[in-house]
Amino acid sequence: MNQMFPIGFEGPLAFYLVVYVLTLVVHVFLMAYVLAGSLWLAWVTVFPKATAGSIHGEIPRTKHPAARILRDWLPFALSGAITAGVAPLLFIQILYQQQFYTANVLLGWRWMVVIPVLVMAFYLLYIMKSKIISQWSLGIRIGLSICVAGSFLFVAFCWTTNHLLSLNASQWPVAYETGDAVQSLPALSLRLATWITGTFPAMGVLMSWQLRGMKSRTDSWRDVASDVNWLTLIEDEDRRIAWVSLAAMIASLILAFCYFLTLPEEVRSNLTGTAGILWIAVLLSSSGVMITGLIRQRRSHTGSKSWLIAVTGALFVQLTAAASLREIIRLTQADLSAVVQSTKAAAEIGGLVMFLVFTVLNAGLIAFCLWLVRRKQAP
Amino acid sequence: MNNFYPVNDYGPLMPGLVMAGVAIVHVFLAQFAVGGGLLLCYFQWLAMTGRSETARIFVNGYFRILVLISFVLGALTGVGIWFTSIQVSAPTIGQMVFNFHWVWATEWTFFCLEVVAGYCFYRYHTQLSDRTNLTLLILYAFAAWMSLFWINGILSWQLTPGDWLASRSLIDGFLNPGFWPSLLFRTIVCMTLASLIGCIVVNVIPSLDRTQRQELINRAAHLMIPMLAMPVLGVWYLLTMPDDSRGWVLGGSPAMMLFFMISVGASLAIGSYALIGLWMQKLYINGATATLLLFMAFGATAGGEFVREGSRKPYTIRHVMYSNGIRPDEVADLRIRGCVTDDPYPVVHEKDLPNDTVTVGAKVFRKQCAVCHTIDGSNAVVHLTASWDEDQMRMNIAKLQQTKPFMPPFAGTAQELESLVQYILWVESGRPSSWAQGMNPETVSQISRWLDEAGTEPAEARSIR
Ligand code: HEC
Ligand code: HEM
Repeated sequence: MNQMFPIGFEGPLAFYLVVYVLTLVVHVFLMAYVLAGSLWLAWVTVFPKATAGSIHGEIPRTKHPAARILRDWLPFALSGAITAGVAPLLFIQILYQQQFYTANVLLGWRWMVVIPVLVMAFYLLYIMKSKIISQWSLGIRIGLSICVAGSFLFVAFCWTTNHLLSLNASQWPVAYETGDAVQSLPALSLRLATWITGTFPAMGVLMSWQLRGMKSRTDSWRDVASDVNWLTLIEDEDRRIAWVSLAAMIASLILAFCYFLTLPEEVRSNLTGTAGILWIAVLLSSSGVMITGLIRQRRSHTGSKSWLIAVTGALFVQLTAAASLREIIRLTQADLSAVVQSTKAAAEIGGLVMFLVFTVLNAGLIAFCLWLVRRKQAP
Repeated sequence: MNNFYPVNDYGPLMPGLVMAGVAIVHVFLAQFAVGGGLLLCYFQWLAMTGRSETARIFVNGYFRILVLISFVLGALTGVGIWFTSIQVSAPTIGQMVFNFHWVWATEWTFFCLEVVAGYCFYRYHTQLSDRTNLTLLILYAFAAWMSLFWINGILSWQLTPGDWLASRSLIDGFLNPGFWPSLLFRTIVCMTLASLIGCIVVNVIPSLDRTQRQELINRAAHLMIPMLAMPVLGVWYLLTMPDDSRGWVLGGSPAMMLFFMISVGASLAIGSYALIGLWMQKLYINGATATLLLFMAFGATAGGEFVREGSRKPYTIRHVMYSNGIRPDEVADLRIRGCVTDDPYPVVHEKDLPNDTVTVGAKVFRKQCAVCHTIDGSNAVVHLTASWDEDQMRMNIAKLQQTKPFMPPFAGTAQELESLVQYILWVESGRPSSWAQGMNPETVSQISRWLDEAGTEPAEARSIR
């Protein structure tokens, strides 16, 4: 690898890599909202008391704007995360068929269990959204929220375990014999922790947009004392989330660096060599933009829209950089000639034009749906 | 890297059964989602054109159930099928993804539309005009049906690849001989399921009185009228099937024939009830009866899926791949090279193997037989061979495709076959800790002759009647 990823690879390989990375970024963005959102909900359910001295100290945090928005939107976000996961799931089977399948089979039922766990978590999200839950005892509500967040953590754990196992072909026969799926616990923990902390900024950005949108619609939140000043509460919440995102993002960068240290020498030199160095630069500079933006947001009382746009853009650049670096790690350890061969053969199969035509059509129809809804909703 | 995948031992259950279980649930739910979309469009239209005011109440209640069931379970069991297919036969799903990845990607764009249109309706329908709601429902139903359209092309290709075998053209593969009959057939099944579930929903909406219920039920039953076309489409589908597969279904394989009859019988019962009772006589159907009919529909779906999966044997993709992941054009080569020579995975499903021969036999079993058999659980090779003496066993396995034409030809060396026989015998004798029998050169050359007599071609239709 002597050029910036994915330049320098054969055409078909580069093409499938780009498609894979871009679709994975969408999945990660939505998955992040679900994972960080459910953790946030669990946190406020366990610690419902707002900070002492705050103007709205008497309202439990579970009734603050972020928690309300999360309960309302998590089921849909999960639908989105799952649907968005299907696309990279498809392309991973073109790029790394043998690795992905082998890791799946080696994990066996431990892998399959992801599905029932997600089904359960999905229904629990609907229960958390329903009205009956307010009549349940605190203990049950705490248990429920922890169960949901725990499920998503478990799913993330499974994906990371599967990924790491898939990278390590020489370990497969041993893994098959012993049933041990984890080769290095430190590497797994660091990688997983990087992901988990990394989900907060993505959730925070989307939440910021949602909070902005709710400013004019707080009348649906009348179940607490009517003299609540929702606007201040929303701004408070926005800043709190910016703060958490900032801290989590810095933690994520540090964890990523520690993970980097666990990688084999060859991988590290590709990451810091021509293949990866520019992506590292992109990752750090987009993170810099995000940090600046989040600090600005925390300072300003109104929440600056232009900074929010900048942070959103930087987030997607950052995720793309992270996903690209992730592929450099994998490609260094993969049998490159096999990947080149399989993508070359795949590129000769027809259907791309048809896909593009329907992508445009359906993107248009999706935009049409959203337009229909927005138009009618306007007061 | 060689093309070996590890094979898991799922105990007495065959992986195929697990696959069938997940597949049936998913197909059932997905068909409900497709039909539900159509039913909702119809009822929304009834409501907004003033033909039925009660239809409005129904639309709201029904959509909630549709979202809760199909968005959640439907979507996730879909991913589940994918995961299960990988467990059962990674080479098969790999080949399908390879050939049809752009079709799948296209289908995925329709999933996205389905989710967005569905959610827009779900969240906002109370604030939207009738026309807008109908538009959203039509988009939802269109997207859901299109996902059936795409996947149907891939699934029917597995059994009837048709001209694709020669041309390798995507269009030939997608619009294969089975495409249209199975698409139309499935669409009718979708409508039937949606209609039956509709009848149940009508019975549980508390705010309806008896006449309103009756009216809605008779309207919902309209979606079952197309069942009239089922026999014709069914025959058309059977005619597109390869002769041997059709042979299994129509009596060649008792199990398959049984499932087929279950499917046909249940469909007939539902169809006659719907047509005579609900449509012509305008009878009422209570929740219990509707649920019973729905269970029958589930039985019909299950039977149909079993037949669909089973009738492909010995292939998972006709002429392209056998159920055990071996390609027909590999067999001759594997007879020389051996099928487990490069297998890097140790045997773990058997403990305390007495010697190398038996170990190789266990590997051969895992590679070639384990998709369809267990060693001593369900469809167990040890039980199936119990009445044979050793030479019969050798010959019948060497001529596997003639022993039962829905098995692939044996794809390994004569030594490997003998190892397999030793393994079976060892298990049959209660897995003793020492096993003396070795490789007898004469036996091996006899096996070679049998293998040559059997040839490397599959049985095809020639052995059926
Ligand atoms: C495509 C799936 C499939 C594969 C692969 C397969 N079989 Fe079978 N086999 C079957 C089915 C189905 C039957 C019928 C079982 C019955 O009649 O109950 C069968 C029957 C048998 C029988 C009994 C035959 C008789 O005449 O009663 C034996 C013995 C047998 N298989 C051995 C094997 C061995 C050994 C292998 C591996 C080399 C193998 N099979 C691979 C599906 C398969
Ligand atoms: C809310 C549930 C989910 C969570 C929390 C989640 C989390 C994750 C995480 C953390 C990763 C990165 C793994 C790593 O690089 O170490 C990942 C990757 C991925 N996810 Fe998800 N995921 C979820 C659901 C899904 C679903 C349902 C699908 C499939 C439809 C999916 C498809 C993928 C794919 C294809 C990858 C890339 C795997 C690879 O490259 O090895 N995810 N997910």
